[in-house]
Amino acid sequence: MTGYRLPTGGRIDRATPFKVRFDGRSYPAFAGDSLASALLANGVRLFGRSFKYHRPRGIVGSGSEEPNALISVTRGSGRFTPNLRATNVEVYPGFEAESQNRWPSLRYDFGAINDRLGMFFPAGFYNKTFMWPRSFWEKLYEPAIRRMAGLGKPPTEEDPDHYSATYAHCDVLIIGAGPAGIDAALEAASSNQRVILIDEQDEAGGGALADPALWPWLARSMKALAGMANVTILTRTTAFGYFHDNFIGAVERLTDHLADIGSGPREKLWRIRAGEVVLAQGAIERPLVFDGNDTPGVMLASAAKVFALRYGVAVGRSVALMASHDSGWQEVFAMARAGVGISAIIDVRDEVDADLRAQAHDLGIDVRLGQSVIGVRGRHGVTAIEIARNDGGASSTLGCDAVLMAGGWTPTVHLWSHSKGTLAWRDDLGAFVPDVAAEKARCVGACAGLWNFGQGLTIDALSTPKDKARIKAFVDFQNDVTAKDIRLAVREGFRSIEHIKRYTTNGMATDQGKTSNLNGLQIASAALSRPVTDIGLTTFRPPYTPQTFGALAGHAKGPLFQPTRKTNIDGWADENGAVFELVAQWRRARYFPKAGEDMLAAVNRECRMVRSSVGIFDASTLGKIEVVGPDAAEFLNRMYTNPWKALEPGRCRYGLLLKEDGFITDDGVSARLAPDRFHLTTTTGGAARVLNMMEDYLQTEWPDLNVWLTSTTEQYAVIALQGPNARKVLEPLVEGIDLSAEAFPHMAIREGLICGIPTRLFRVSFTGELGFEINVPSAYGRALWERIMAEGARYDITPYGTEAMHVLRAEKGFIIVGQDTDGTVTPFDAGLDWAVGKKKPDFVGKRSLARPDLVASGRKQLVGLLTEDPNYVLEEGAQIVADPNQSVPMKMIGHVTSSYWSETLGRSIALALVADGHHKMGQDVFIPMPGKTHVATISSTIFYDAEGARLNV
Amino acid sequence: MSEALVRSDPIPAQAFLAADVSITAAAPMSRFSLRARHASDLEGVIGAKIPDKIGIMLDGVACLGPDEWLAFAPDGAAMPDAAGLSVSVTDVSDRSVGIILEGARAIEVLATGCPLDLDHFAVGRATRTIYETVEIVIVREAMDRFHIEVWRSFAPWLWTALTTAASE
Repeated sequence: MTGYRLPTGGRIDRATPFKVRFDGRSYPAFAGDSLASALLANGVRLFGRSFKYHRPRGIVGSGSEEPNALISVTRGSGRFTPNLRATNVEVYPGFEAESQNRWPSLRYDFGAINDRLGMFFPAGFYNKTFMWPRSFWEKLYEPAIRRMAGLGKPPTEEDPDHYSATYAHCDVLIIGAGPAGIDAALEAASSNQRVILIDEQDEAGGGALADPALWPWLARSMKALAGMANVTILTRTTAFGYFHDNFIGAVERLTDHLADIGSGPREKLWRIRAGEVVLAQGAIERPLVFDGNDTPGVMLASAAKVFALRYGVAVGRSVALMASHDSGWQEVFAMARAGVGISAIIDVRDEVDADLRAQAHDLGIDVRLGQSVIGVRGRHGVTAIEIARNDGGASSTLGCDAVLMAGGWTPTVHLWSHSKGTLAWRDDLGAFVPDVAAEKARCVGACAGLWNFGQGLTIDALSTPKDKARIKAFVDFQNDVTAKDIRLAVREGFRSIEHIKRYTTNGMATDQGKTSNLNGLQIASAALSRPVTDIGLTTFRPPYTPQTFGALAGHAKGPLFQPTRKTNIDGWADENGAVFELVAQWRRARYFPKAGEDMLAAVNRECRMVRSSVGIFDASTLGKIEVVGPDAAEFLNRMYTNPWKALEPGRCRYGLLLKEDGFITDDGVSARLAPDRFHLTTTTGGAARVLNMMEDYLQTEWPDLNVWLTSTTEQYAVIALQGPNARKVLEPLVEGIDLSAEAFPHMAIREGLICGIPTRLFRVSFTGELGFEINVPSAYGRALWERIMAEGARYDITPYGTEAMHVLRAEKGFIIVGQDTDGTVTPFDAGLDWAVGKKKPDFVGKRSLARPDLVASGRKQLVGLLTEDPNYVLEEGAQIVADPNQSVPMKMIGHVTSSYWSETLGRSIALALVADGHHKMGQDVFIPMPGKTHVATISSTIFYDAEGARLNV
Repeated sequence: MSEALVRSDPIPAQAFLAADVSITAAAPMSRFSLRARHASDLEGVIGAKIPDKIGIMLDGVACLGPDEWLAFAPDGAAMPDAAGLSVSVTDVSDRSVGIILEGARAIEVLATGCPLDLDHFAVGRATRTIYETVEIVIVREAMDRFHIEVWRSFAPWLWTALTTAASE
């Protein structure tokens, strides 16, 4: 035998040998090996350092239950995956991995000092010790603890891989392709239902993979399933969560096992909706709790059998079994027949089935009944064990290089619990099994407690003559929780397993207590002298095993992270040097800098050109809703604060929308196209919200109204043409509309043609200048924009962005909902009394406007601010005080909501919400800023052309 | 008057071809959102039978909800006049663009982001649904051919998503 590889057997491909690297050393491996089996075959027993005490740790399990052997796989820049279980990692030529939580090396780890100081780290240590002083926590304690106690390091580079995702539907979803799952799949498939069979391992078979007698059956069954068109088989796929209505999340690993990962996605997220879910997840063997049970070389009996029969690896040359259950006996018999040297079977029970004893005798295995392992020798690997009779008496020492634990079985009920299926305790199994389903689901095989593993004794910990306070008998290997810690929690008054769990952290590691929960529960039960069923079981939550963020994100990465909405005119802006900003999901041009211009210079120029000649602006993102039906005017009259019924077709009106609480939620100019048809506009960010709100009222409050709402936001591209020359630019392009001031006044709408395309032409202004907003079908937006640019060239037509738009509207005191309002501003606070119909019997929010708090004095009201220093532009959000000489913290009476340099006025302007502001006109207020307190005078919000002379031309 | 304005659309005019699937921009067409309390209220307006069961498509009119239909018509078709009637007809021709997903892998590609059980979505059916976070309307025009409607500004994202899925 070379190393620990058995001369024959296993499912590995001995014809395909290659090398793998672990912590910089090269080891031979075969195709079909896991990292665990490959290293064990080479005599490696030390795989990692524990979380808290930095104790040397080896392999415990053979699959997802593995708590100790967490390693990091690295395969080039950005492809670094920490915290993988060595038992789940398939190797390939060139494979490279490293151990974790050790410095400077796995064998000589500085942090192991924690183990010597273990008595100073009891349960709740962190909570008890690092309480004071509070300020030390963030800067000192937490970073230090995080450095010492840890898992793998997070990757530092961007993940270059991409990930796939899909939905899938089936009639029967079977999770777990062991014998029970395969039988269920064959049965379901034969009735021609759509079947999906998934398994987390690299091949289907589950426990059968370690039972050569079942291999012919396995091959036959999988061949039959693979040949059926109605069956989908997903291996290397972990069902990580079971959600409502039989919705299962699963991740398929596509390339992690390949030497050449190609260019395809690394993982695929399967979102499966199943008619029925069959859980065939099997069961996990339970470790036994004794002093030194975490020494490398101490592992589950079932795992050792998997290594021997599936991978052809002996976990030791002289292997001892510590059992409380018959199953361990069967495992070591199978191993012995495969050539693994079994030296002894120790069983806590005084009586064991005679047939088992006879088989042990035939195989020449020393059997010791009524005894327990009470200690383990060897630091980096087992060299011997101490054994004592349970009823007292002298201990003896037995040399061995591996100790197998057979403590009975725990059905894997994680997904069942995710689905809210209930559990029932079975004394005969010493375990919880699935009881009442909450979804259309059932459990089959070992996860239902249906197994043929023989009998066993359920115990909390092995008896020992040693002082229980001084031994380290581990319950949760990954979080370093010992039996002593759980007993301490009970002594300190914790009674519920939920509290004991959080205090000791038992079961809270990345393995979610797959091997520790039941042992922890038994120990708490014994310490409290109460039955397990009184203490309860902690809740399993998704994910079953840790999943990558990449898999959960699926395609939602890079350009597919989320849609960036662009208007039809966006391409022109892009080609003409626009600087963009995001407004909701929309990308909007913020300004159009010319060579050498910074933002301020560009915005100043854009504002100047709008005021002096003509500017052009892409307003396509404005929300639009077509309101149609005989009751359209009635509906709007109820929604908006101002009257709508008398608005004539062809005219526009500013609408102010409140929520039920009386606060402003949106505004916009809307037009009446016909007696039964309105074209509403909303703010860019408010489009979906306003439509939903209106639909809500229509469907729940006024279902009697014959009116319907249709979103037309994307139907129209909207070009705003603003400035004294706007009409002159437009005139040659428009057919069928008289643009004269008399025929087409401010706040009117006309329908006609522009450049041969039908248009809804609004005469409106958000700048205070003569202005038009041209609505055309979206696809023509860019072509029309270019035509207008050409036509306007003789007036130096200037494209302007959202920043100039903000300045121009602020000069006129037009509010922006969400900037000058914050959800606590009423129309009266905003100085929009004129937009509230005093005589209207009702509108949304009307009642709230009479609430005592909303009519009380002292409310924050929107005002203008003019700084004493005209060149200083206030910070938006800056706080305002009445007396700059008061002591800190000062009483704040408001804040700046909008603030700009106004090129038009040659000075700064600002809008602010100030307590009682409308009654403080002309008074000075103070804005303390670092280094200086600024003085400003409260003014009207309208800074420019208060009489509106520029509009009505 | 100078030459007519040209349309510009958010997705490539050229088809995307991958193994067993093609993704193509649909030709421009007229679209009208029809709203009424009853299908029969619209029949006089449209001059045709209107499907009254949600999810059914009949002669280019899809019933999307209890009071909502989406009508497809050849490009340039005039909007039906329903002035004064107790119905709503709105021109939404340019609100969305159409994407044709066709081929043996059409269902597989659509299912990457659409949570519907498409095996049970019969030919001739139409429904509003989502692809990941984006609202779409799908019409199954043949066993291996879907017409997907998506709002214009979301179309580039959807095009990228579908072509990415088709290339995998």
